[in-house]
Amino acid sequence: MQLLLTVIIIGLIGTICGAAIYIVYIRVPHKVPGLRRIDEINSLLPGANCGACSYAGCFALASELVNHPEKAGELSCPMLAGDQEAVKRLEAALGISIDADALSKKAMIHCGGNSEVIFDYSGAQSCKAAALIAGGFKRCPYACLGLGDCVNACKYDAISIDKERQIAVIDYVKCTGCSLCIKECPHHLIQMVPGKTKIAFRCNYGEIKPIPGRERCETGCIHCRKCFNACKYEAIIWNKEKAEPEFITDKCTLCGDCIEVCPNNTLEFFRPQE
Amino acid sequence: MTNPLAIFIGMALINNFVLVKFLGLCPFFGVSKKLSNALSMGLAVTFVMFAASAVIWPIHNYILVNLNAEYLSTVVYILVIATLVQIMELVIMRTNYALYSAFGIYLALITTNCAVLGVTLVNTSEGFNFIESLVSALGAGTGFALVLVIMSGIRERLDNARLPKSMKGLPVAFLVAALLGLAFSGFSGMV
Repeated sequence: MQLLLTVIIIGLIGTICGAAIYIVYIRVPHKVPGLRRIDEINSLLPGANCGACSYAGCFALASELVNHPEKAGELSCPMLAGDQEAVKRLEAALGISIDADALSKKAMIHCGGNSEVIFDYSGAQSCKAAALIAGGFKRCPYACLGLGDCVNACKYDAISIDKERQIAVIDYVKCTGCSLCIKECPHHLIQMVPGKTKIAFRCNYGEIKPIPGRERCETGCIHCRKCFNACKYEAIIWNKEKAEPEFITDKCTLCGDCIEVCPNNTLEFFRPQE
Repeated sequence: MTNPLAIFIGMALINNFVLVKFLGLCPFFGVSKKLSNALSMGLAVTFVMFAASAVIWPIHNYILVNLNAEYLSTVVYILVIATLVQIMELVIMRTNYALYSAFGIYLALITTNCAVLGVTLVNTSEGFNFIESLVSALGAGTGFALVLVIMSGIRERLDNARLPKSMKGLPVAFLVAALLGLAFSGFSGMV
């Protein structure tokens, strides 16, 4: 009897409270210009408030979209990426087109995995442990050690270890852009890039530019600028500080010239080619 | 304590929620870095306390007491406070967006501020009538705002003080809180 009374009291008061909020939501006039529109856009967003778009939540992203619609091109929302319907509705509401590929982020690993093994490591099978000993057992101090800390972190089965090259390989299709793997890598080889990125740069020692690539690795960047010179579409900029190429996705036509001329095969197509 | 002034002073100073009853400590340390933030947080909490007391008093005395269900008070109070804060947030957002942005996340966080629940529980356990509970809520809110303002004033000065590295920020804030608590214990026995 008492239990029933408890349920009834809490249920009643809860219903009244909910109804009160609803009435206020319907009745209170919108006096702030633009707020109703932000509310509208907000209702079209996933509502997960995950923060992957780098805003404080879906509402913050919605207000940014309303105030600066030109920024929609840079919009990145992993929750929207898989949902064509929601993207279409958002496009209709905002009156602009959204590149569905650009919505997603993907993890890119900056190592080709051809660095020579310089000593036998038989400790704990974890990259973090191996990296503590002289920076790892490969010649290049930035090499992927291939012991799979990122594989364990990935919830979507998107990372696998290529046994032959002893390197982690990220499946473009399976990767959801959750960025869980980023902090696992002791050599900071994994980076989140926009999903529409076209060329992958498989090398990560821009910081130690005086050391030529070949001494450390067969597929490392040797800073020869051949890719920069080969590009007919001005899609590659040479970053002088890091001594490595930077790719402008919008100008890239996927012609593959830079990949062909690279003497060390440092470059790859980022997305699987049909 | 039937004199409203006595209740007000008692709640604001003698039984100060933060420094004597140790309620609402998270905003006390979280929002006391800037004077302006502390002031607006204090005012918001005072308002929610006042509104919550006004709504909860009839609910307690006409529903819970009559149904012999006072053991439900904590749950019901939290429900009512959460609703009130939601409504308040909606109204502020739609009428004064600048104020809403100034409050930021703290407005929503008042929902789980134990000082608000504390004042309503004290009201019912002391057996205050409607006016008395409103006065006590105002007193508690004023005390909360007062302590927050004092604390933020001190912390703003401390930011420029030369302190050992290990003491910077929160550690020295704890020390300041302890000294403030000591000072407020001087009010005990005043009424």
